[in-house]
Amino acid sequence: MLKIEGLRKSYDGNEILKGISVDVSKGDVISIIGPSGSGKTTLLRNMTTLEQADGGHIQFADVDKDFQKLSSKDIQTIRRNVGFVFQNYNLFNNKTALQNITEGLIVARKVNKSEAKKIALEALERVGLSDRQNHYPSQLSGGQQQRVGIARAVALNPKVIFFDEPTSALDPELVGEVLKVMRDLAESGTTMVVVTHQMNFARNVSNKVIFMADGHIVEQGSPESIFEHPSEKRTQEFLTDILANV
Amino acid sequence: MENIKLIINFLGQLLPAINITLIVSVSSIVLGSLLGLGLAAAKQSESAILRVFASIYVSVIRATPSIIMIFVVYYGMPLFFSAWFHINIEGWNRMYFVIIALTLLFSAPVSEIMRSAYGSVSKGQTEAGLMVGMTPFQTFYRIVLPQAFVVALPNFANSVINLMKEGALTFTIGVVDMVAKAQMIVANNSGGYAWQTYCALALIYWVISLAIDKGVTLVEKSYQAKRKTIAA
Amino acid sequence: MSLNTDFMVKVAHTAIQGVPVTLQIVLVALLISLPVGCLFALIRIYRIKGLEQIVKLYVSFVRGTPIIAQILIVYSAFPSLLNMIIGKAAFSINPIYYAYIVFTLNSIATLTEVFRSALQTVDKGQLEAGLMVGMRPRQIFWRIILPQALISALPNITNATLYLMKNSSLAFIMSVKDITAIAKTEAAFNYNFLEAYLVVWVYYLIICYSAEVIFYLLERYFSKYRRSTKKTTYFNWQPFSIKQPNVSAEAELTESGRGDHAQNRRIKKKL
Repeated sequence: MLKIEGLRKSYDGNEILKGISVDVSKGDVISIIGPSGSGKTTLLRNMTTLEQADGGHIQFADVDKDFQKLSSKDIQTIRRNVGFVFQNYNLFNNKTALQNITEGLIVARKVNKSEAKKIALEALERVGLSDRQNHYPSQLSGGQQQRVGIARAVALNPKVIFFDEPTSALDPELVGEVLKVMRDLAESGTTMVVVTHQMNFARNVSNKVIFMADGHIVEQGSPESIFEHPSEKRTQEFLTDILANV
Repeated sequence: MENIKLIINFLGQLLPAINITLIVSVSSIVLGSLLGLGLAAAKQSESAILRVFASIYVSVIRATPSIIMIFVVYYGMPLFFSAWFHINIEGWNRMYFVIIALTLLFSAPVSEIMRSAYGSVSKGQTEAGLMVGMTPFQTFYRIVLPQAFVVALPNFANSVINLMKEGALTFTIGVVDMVAKAQMIVANNSGGYAWQTYCALALIYWVISLAIDKGVTLVEKSYQAKRKTIAA
Repeated sequence: MSLNTDFMVKVAHTAIQGVPVTLQIVLVALLISLPVGCLFALIRIYRIKGLEQIVKLYVSFVRGTPIIAQILIVYSAFPSLLNMIIGKAAFSINPIYYAYIVFTLNSIATLTEVFRSALQTVDKGQLEAGLMVGMRPRQIFWRIILPQALISALPNITNATLYLMKNSSLAFIMSVKDITAIAKTEAAFNYNFLEAYLVVWVYYLIICYSAEVIFYLLERYFSKYRRSTKKTTYFNWQPFSIKQPNVSAEAELTESGRGDHAQNRRIKKKL
């Protein structure tokens, strides 16, 4: 459904992504793990055209082109078919929880207002925040903000939802509520690509795990194969390090 | 081209009067900073009366046009002095009145700048200083002050530029500064070349403002450089 | 020292006719310079070639020169400029138009800087979030970024307005019949200058204070989204308390707070 090939990206001569290929099928829940600075977030931002990639090919929705040749119409098509959940939530500060969700529906998708409100309320219900619909982001906890952020992505009914370290900016006691929402989404068949440091999520919820280091995909496969029988030394080291500390 | 020549010519005629601007500005900066320091201290003081007085003073100044302050000081002070101290100060150099008015105006924003700069570094740094055994004065002088200075500098420079610009109103009470000089030149030319004259006037102020800005940037940079080397 | 109170009452009566003039100048200048200042700020932020340099130079000149010099330049240059366009009629124009020109040009520079810093306080993530729900950059600017920037600019817009009001007291130099001019003429008859200016002073205090209250109410009304449920802000009843432009500081605080959080967690994770 979504196919990326040979994605490259450099900043100031430093190559951050050295030819990444990812294949996402419908219903996949893919976790991308790896040490800090390995390019995971950059990968997500380039796949979703938030940043312009230097090279590579994308096949998604009606688009089948090299990244550099994407027209603004292609970019719009891609963005209309993905959802994105940010590390810092990035809720619109001047909009209520409900308006955060209806904004994209009304302005970008031209859904009529009452319909948009209905969809938004359903989405809020799904993340358990119906009672917070008229709160502004500043009046919500980090966990609640992130759940609104997820509802905002879900409401647009995208083909894939990307999560960029969705729990990294949260206080430890708030991580659980967000992970639960994500797990529910996964179980209901939503296609998800998740950059995460939550190894439990990667292991128990996803059906595919990608391990990245230094701008390469070192290894990918089922959670069992990555966590139980990693074949690469780099993967083993990373897992021993991180699992020793859980 | 003709105009540029004219402007350069007028620059030459105006510049000799710059000393009035400089004297007025520098004296008001010095006196205003002292008064501002007093106000800042009053705002931090234990006495509620002092605190209220300081904040009312600062807020009244904030709503006072400079020209009104200059006029009130110029026309009011001689009356006040003769009524209360039986001293006749009508013969004072008129520049003094401008300096007093500008001092009163300058002290208010400066007190706020000092207060917020002090507040921005004070607490943790003071505690740390005291805990390594320095006296409160040493802590203030060696730790807090240098840091507060850097914080306050850009805003202080901004206020200095404002003060200098307000000082351009000196002419309104009959002191022959650059503005008055410019008006005389225009009058001598029977109103001719007016805008060229005033452009020359504006240029002089512009250059001074730019110089102050540049100076501050340089000082800031040198401080930042120091910080970096210490950090490394 | 005795003040001629009868005269003061008389001046208070006549000078009040100048209040609408002062307010008119301030209003016209603000209404024009707010959108133009915003536009200039955008030119600087998006570094539009050529225009950026012009705006920079313009702002630097206006901020670096006394308002009196600007008044004198406009007042001496514009009539002859207009003379070339509309002929002799230029010299019979109501001088208040020159006041509009000077104070508008002056406010544009101040507000350009105000909007520039306000627009920069809006997090880039707001734009990205808008893009990812499919909005176009223009829609995001009008619906998300500009409203937030306007609200964070409000304290500085208040300052700019007070600055403008105070400067407008120099309109008398262009023979505009504002508060100061009327009081000055009245005072000249009997040399009661002190009394006249004290009255003018009180008028300015009232005008500036009213403006501050209005802006405070605006700020309160529009910034509902900034208040968390716990803390509410109250009006600071100290008259005209100097408001430091604390908006950006606040934004920086939450920003760095967030970073620290993330860092702590990363450290926790490592440990």
